[in-house]
Amino acid sequence: MKKIILLLGTCTGPLILSAQQSLPANPFTDSTRFIELREVHLQAKAGSSQQRLVNFYRGNASFTLEDIMARLPEISFQRRGPYGMEPSIRGYTGGQINVLIDGMRIYGACTDKMDPPTIYIEPLNLDHVQVQTGQNGFLHGSSIGGSILLKMAEPKHDEEGNLHASVNSGYSSASRGWYESARLHYGTGRWSFLANGTYRKNQDYRAGGGETIPFSAMEKVNYGFSAKYRLNENLSVKADFLGDDGWNIGYPALPMDVGYAAARIGSLSIQSEKPKQGWTNWNAKLYANRVQHYMDDTHRPDVPMHMDMPGLSKTYGAFAEGMRQTGQRHSLRLRADLSSTFLTASMTMYPPNEVPMYMLTWPDHRKMQSGLGAAWTFDADSNWRFQANARVDYMTHRLTSTDGKEEVAVLGYDTDGRNDLLGNLSLSANRKLFTRSAVFMNIAYAERVPTGSELYGFYLFNAQDGYDYIGKADLLRESAIQAETGMKGQIGNVQKGRVSYQLTGFISYLDNYITGIVEPDLSAMTIGANGVKSYQNLPWALQAGGEASLNGELHKQWQAAATLRYTYARDDQGAPLPFIPPFKSMVSLRYQPGRFSAQAEWEAASRQERYAIRAGEDETPGFMLLHLRCGYSFPVSTSRIGLQAGVENVFDTFYHEHLDWGNIPRQGRNVYMQLNLSF
Amino acid sequence: MKLFSKLYLPIILSAAFLLNACTKEENQTIDPTAQLVKLTEGYATGAATKVLVFTETSVINTGYTRFYLQLKDSASGADVTQAQVMLMPMMDMGTMKHSAPVENPASEKATDGLFQAASVFIMSSMGGSWTMTFTLKRPESGKQGSLTIPVTVTEPAKATMKSFTAADNGQKYFVALIEPSQPKIGINDFEIGVYRKATMMSFPADSTLNFTIEPEMPTMGHGSPNNVNPTHARLGHFKGKVNFTMTGFWRVHLDALHGTAVADTTQYFDIEF
Repeated sequence: MKKIILLLGTCTGPLILSAQQSLPANPFTDSTRFIELREVHLQAKAGSSQQRLVNFYRGNASFTLEDIMARLPEISFQRRGPYGMEPSIRGYTGGQINVLIDGMRIYGACTDKMDPPTIYIEPLNLDHVQVQTGQNGFLHGSSIGGSILLKMAEPKHDEEGNLHASVNSGYSSASRGWYESARLHYGTGRWSFLANGTYRKNQDYRAGGGETIPFSAMEKVNYGFSAKYRLNENLSVKADFLGDDGWNIGYPALPMDVGYAAARIGSLSIQSEKPKQGWTNWNAKLYANRVQHYMDDTHRPDVPMHMDMPGLSKTYGAFAEGMRQTGQRHSLRLRADLSSTFLTASMTMYPPNEVPMYMLTWPDHRKMQSGLGAAWTFDADSNWRFQANARVDYMTHRLTSTDGKEEVAVLGYDTDGRNDLLGNLSLSANRKLFTRSAVFMNIAYAERVPTGSELYGFYLFNAQDGYDYIGKADLLRESAIQAETGMKGQIGNVQKGRVSYQLTGFISYLDNYITGIVEPDLSAMTIGANGVKSYQNLPWALQAGGEASLNGELHKQWQAAATLRYTYARDDQGAPLPFIPPFKSMVSLRYQPGRFSAQAEWEAASRQERYAIRAGEDETPGFMLLHLRCGYSFPVSTSRIGLQAGVENVFDTFYHEHLDWGNIPRQGRNVYMQLNLSF
Repeated sequence: MKLFSKLYLPIILSAAFLLNACTKEENQTIDPTAQLVKLTEGYATGAATKVLVFTETSVINTGYTRFYLQLKDSASGADVTQAQVMLMPMMDMGTMKHSAPVENPASEKATDGLFQAASVFIMSSMGGSWTMTFTLKRPESGKQGSLTIPVTVTEPAKATMKSFTAADNGQKYFVALIEPSQPKIGINDFEIGVYRKATMMSFPADSTLNFTIEPEMPTMGHGSPNNVNPTHARLGHFKGKVNFTMTGFWRVHLDALHGTAVADTTQYFDIEF
């Protein structure tokens, strides 16, 4: 079992402290890993019990969430453009994983996966990230690959009625990009409010060696409001709204860009404020969100035929979760949730002198889900801890329009929809070893339903392999039998410096692995496409790998973090699975004598020779990168001014990662500067 | 869904039945020609019958055209529901005349007060002038007479009438597109009427050919999956399924064979919606 919590913030001192104190006590604390991404002045807290691992991948505050998450060993990204990268956990992606924002399900409205929910969270409105793998991966929703839980920042009650504000402004040279953000917090004993906004505008960026990558610009604004009211000492209600608007976002690896994309995410919640007897840390939420997405090809040269591709996703849902300690040895955590999602997307092409060609690329359909997850922990004695997790989900899919049904009928499938009952189960054992180390082992069975695209996708063009993909409404559920084992602990002591380590090995046997298989008899819809693939179940596939991390204080003023990961994956024929990252390592060293800090990051990936030819992949060369960062922060009366600057990709290396579509080179040398003012 | 069908379906059905019972009187007054266009009317002299001629559209195109005849006794004005009706289309090109394929009413009894027939106009009125002769025989009186009307046949933007000379037997065939008349995204009925030119005056329905169809979007160069080749149903009508994955301009290619002998592979119907 492994869970990572990543904290970051650009807020003021008092806010940070309160944020840390209110971090939810975690039912899986035995192996919870915190990755600290906070500002300089928090390093004094590095020895606290909640921060057994301290990570220094605190970059430039103009980092997107993607930049930060990419520094976790479990996470890699499928990149179709510099923005809107799709997260993957140990090579699992898309419908194999859950990405939840404050526990809410949000589905992208783009058939080409340009809008994973991670784009709606800016570092400014993020409280922490948890990556749940292995046995815990399915607690928030049946999944075989795990869950990424993004927790939004929330307002804190403040008896003194202080007002806090911070503004940030930054510039990045490689994309000639500006980053502006502001955050305002006000709290009283009963009411508290938080507002934040971020604006980003990047030009086409410069790759290593000097080439400018066309169609890589973007512009977006993200804004959030949150209000909380304390009913009594233990109970508060909260309303949140998050909006995100993007314009002319380039995807150089795809044939189209985004003209406009908008997300509106709202929720009402009630939550317990303090751990107490009985049910603790419980909260319940009602939510709704709507994502609109309009692809655009009007800026592209040589478009054979102009087309519009709008998409819409609407979700509403509710959940309740809580934890209960029963006696000294047992604890139970429960989560019950339900949600309903409507998806539709269409394409209209405009041939000259002919009527427009219109079709549904996602036939209108609704997915309804209800589930119950439970985690039971038993401390047998001072050495052994056992845990059992289970989750049941009932899901229905229904085509909701005649047009949609007619289309699915063309492919020869039943149009009555489908019902799935899913079960997930895991068992784990944790044995204490020496004083501050433990070994752990867990096994799990997990399954997932196919995604909307996998069931009903209608000639969705995949730019990576050049095929049109069609869904298969009667796909079998993908399932996995998984085992994970490892060791973790701490070395050293507080006086001399303490280093946390974790070693993990994992293996998964996937049954009915879902992938695209060529349909030689079907003709491709997209002009220039190689053919048609339909989603089908492979008999089996195998995924295995390991991660190692080392993280902590080497000596006073010197801190280090190092991660290493590798994943191996094959299908039943022995062919490598697509989008599997190669060996990758990141090593960082930070020197922080006082107000000044300096940091060096070394990032290296090996050549990926195991690539999936049928998915359009090729061999990816290895690379090594060096990033240098420094910061200086000082108080001016009641304010604090922070200055940060750095050089990323110092040697201007020309490279791309294996999961990058179209081998589009990544950003070259980038000099950035950032000014932060807070009071 | 199951619960729905178990609980609600009977309720809906019974509600529908009740509603139906209440509106039964109104149903009887529905005019069977309400959706049709009256082309003309006239008297079939000799049969003592007034003939009202209806079609589905006001414009008659080359291809398969349905005619609906309402007959009234010219003396009493009463509806005539029993008659033998025969159609004879004739094209006068000045130097020559020819007829066209027809489908006479299947029964001597009117359906909903109408006698349904069809003719396949194999060319437009550009090459001459079409007439249509309706010959009636009323069984109760034995009286027989006919009405001849002029018909203006236009060439539609997308042809629904094709002809070819079979490569294997040298016979000339006419193929009229009947369905889809209202094309849509999804699975569409595909129906053609096939006729052989026996003489200038005789165009019998043909059931000897086999057809394969292949839809294509010429602008895009793609087709669609799971089409069903038309097979002979009756009276030269071949029925199959054609699938359209999107709106726009489609071309349905049609290959005709006699067994394994290729009769023709050059025909197609263009369908735009």
